[in-house]
Amino acid sequence: MHSFGYRANALLTFSLTILALICAMASLSDNLNSPSPTATVQILNVNRFQKKSSGDDEVGLTLDISADLQSLFTWNTKQVFVFLAAEYSTPRNSLNQVSLWDGIIPLKEDAKFSTKTKNKYRFIDQGSNLRGRDFNMTLHWHVMPKTGKMFADKLVLPGFRLPESYR
Amino acid sequence: MGIRFWERKVKAVNEDLEGCSKKRRRQRPHVLTDAYILSPSTFTMDWQGQKVAEQLMQIMLVVFAIAAFITGYILGSFELMIYVYAGGVVLTILTTIPNWPFFNRHPLKWLDPSEAEKHPKPQVTSSVSKKKTPKK
Repeated sequence: MHSFGYRANALLTFSLTILALICAMASLSDNLNSPSPTATVQILNVNRFQKKSSGDDEVGLTLDISADLQSLFTWNTKQVFVFLAAEYSTPRNSLNQVSLWDGIIPLKEDAKFSTKTKNKYRFIDQGSNLRGRDFNMTLHWHVMPKTGKMFADKLVLPGFRLPESYR
Repeated sequence: MGIRFWERKVKAVNEDLEGCSKKRRRQRPHVLTDAYILSPSTFTMDWQGQKVAEQLMQIMLVVFAIAAFITGYILGSFELMIYVYAGGVVLTILTTIPNWPFFNRHPLKWLDPSEAEKHPKPQVTSSVSKKKTPKK
């Protein structure tokens, strides 16, 4: 420790090691949070239900999504990425997940929301299996931290059904 | 800047000094003081000061890290934690890196040149001849 450079190097490396430790502690403190989110989804209208020329079914929906995700936010949360997926099974695929809408919530105040929107992404099946199909609307979220581990979870909302015939 | 830099500096000043005649040397007393100022003992810490500087650095950083985490966690702001910690790092830099005088309170006592002359180094030739006889 007898020269400027020696002391400066020691201080720099020690301070960065300690910074890594406090960021790790901040990430571990996220485990103390027990979130309790709620959500409801309604299909306001089936706008379009056709079989495309390629042979695949396509559905156009107007959705009413309302959710309260404020309990997911901690002091170490940068943003919450939330998306709504339609989940169903067909003879061809045991599980189909089609993302219909997503959003990024950067602030805790914006985490309690209610939107009426058409589906942001197209709801296209692999094949022609959607007539009269029962499906779940699953709301997934990813809690992205400022440092450390990302948490992902979901909420399953069952009980949706597509019409029996094309419109 | 380590010891080598200062050794070269002192050597250069002393060489400059040797080129002058005795009269000019008396007229340039500031050159001697330059050599004194450039010598390492006035710019670095003593051993006790180095130990104090290292301990002070480690303790200050740990204390500021704990304080930063607690304030950030209680007030719920990650940015505040980083700002408090960065302020602590800057304060530690200002306290431990420069050669403050309180790091130099136990300077090394070098032997006085007049004292060294009273104890000359032992001669080498007598010990060599003594080594030859046992081999026979």
